[in-house]
Amino acid sequence: MLNYIARRVLLMIPTLFVISALVYVIVDLPPGDCVTSQIDELLSRGDPDALRRADELRSLYGLDQPLWQRYLEWVAGMFQWDFGLSCQDTVPVGDLIGERLMLTMVMEVSTIAFIWIVSFIIGVYAATHQYQAGDYIASFIGFVGLAVPNFLLALVLLYVGKVYFGLSIGGLMDPEYIDKPLSWGKVSSVMQHLIIPVIVIGTSGTAGMIRRLRANLLDELQKQYVVTGRAKGLPPMKLLIKYPLRHALNPFVADIGNLLPEVISGSVIVSVVLSLPTTGPMLLGALKTQDVNLAATFLLFVAVLTVIGTLISDLLLAALDPRIRLGATAEK
Amino acid sequence: MNAAEMRYSQRILLGDYLRAGAGVLMCGAPLVALDLGRWLGWILTGLVILFALFGVRTALRHTTRFLLEPDGLRVEGPMGTFIAWARLNRMKLSYYSTKRDRSDGWMQLAVGSTDTRWVRIDSHLEGFRDIVLGAHRAAAASGVELSAATRANLRAMDIPVEEPLPA
Repeated sequence: MLNYIARRVLLMIPTLFVISALVYVIVDLPPGDCVTSQIDELLSRGDPDALRRADELRSLYGLDQPLWQRYLEWVAGMFQWDFGLSCQDTVPVGDLIGERLMLTMVMEVSTIAFIWIVSFIIGVYAATHQYQAGDYIASFIGFVGLAVPNFLLALVLLYVGKVYFGLSIGGLMDPEYIDKPLSWGKVSSVMQHLIIPVIVIGTSGTAGMIRRLRANLLDELQKQYVVTGRAKGLPPMKLLIKYPLRHALNPFVADIGNLLPEVISGSVIVSVVLSLPTTGPMLLGALKTQDVNLAATFLLFVAVLTVIGTLISDLLLAALDPRIRLGATAEK
Repeated sequence: MNAAEMRYSQRILLGDYLRAGAGVLMCGAPLVALDLGRWLGWILTGLVILFALFGVRTALRHTTRFLLEPDGLRVEGPMGTFIAWARLNRMKLSYYSTKRDRSDGWMQLAVGSTDTRWVRIDSHLEGFRDIVLGAHRAAAASGVELSAATRANLRAMDIPVEEPLPA
């Protein structure tokens, strides 16, 4: 296992460097830069110093340096939590993303826990009660969850909450806690406000996972060893838990790596709709204004989370089921 | 009958030494050269320790030789031991791959007896199949229970395995 972990981690390091370079270059690729829109505004107001001001700003943000030099400075700064200056408010990116990153991580982890718990219970129930009312209801929920876009569900919940219950379900905490230091009241407020975004963002993932778990478990339950066990009089619960459920759980573990980017990208538009103070809306703004440092830092964090998620899922899978797959060839 | 002597090939060991060195260098260089934040410092220190352990394990493999004897497997080196086939009570055959399609991976055999620690051998060892065959024969004779993964991997190595009936 040490051999496996070392090899996987060693692959991870260059992967992250390549991703960081690609992200930085792609965000910088469109013509113009983050100063362009600010200068256009000054010129439209007839400011005679607009061009001189543009040079000052470019020098401040380091935009007068070649791309490779800016990239290397950004990478070197990363190790010291210094991601350069954001063009939006001329403040360090590290200060801008701190709380948002934490709130985003809390929301994504809660969403993944929600997806696992709900889909596990419903998936097992649907597979063990095939073609019964419960299975049809679970399948219906699954198809609806897959078919309805997250942002639409968010809009519907916003409307229903406001019109029928008089509730404002936007935001991730009560207004009195915004920009205030961490306290138990703030944590409690975040927990209460998390429920709706978690349901909205987690619905499609849950629906997909229910379908996969149901299909895998049904496959296992129809295998010879299960039939033999049943014929020998094994108790149904023991027969379910001992082998079929264990085998059917592998996709759960394997999906950790896929769930993270899916949940994060799915939450960007939902965060805009629900006015959540997470990284999504800020990333969107940074991409629109070509704030390279801010956008690249966010995207790199998403990449880091994805790579770590994939690593965790691969390590768990290697520990749980170190089996050769069909078509794979080992060195014999 | 003479014992068959087996060692890890120089090519495989060199690759592992290079991996360990590259890992220590890539994770250790920022630790030495930069003034890092606390969390990143801990993470990189952990990774340096991981790669250093990997290097130590490679060095142990370098100095170890395996002797497949009729009555067991002898491991000669710093962590030497002898696993008598008659006392074998655990056996696991795992498959690991760093690729998404799980190709180009390697097998790992882990065996142990009543009076010894686990001994782990990778399929990079020349003569690995002979050791697996010997261990499997001993496991079958002693009635050692094999996991589903071990049975699947044995079959992938063209070693016939009987499917146990559910207890």
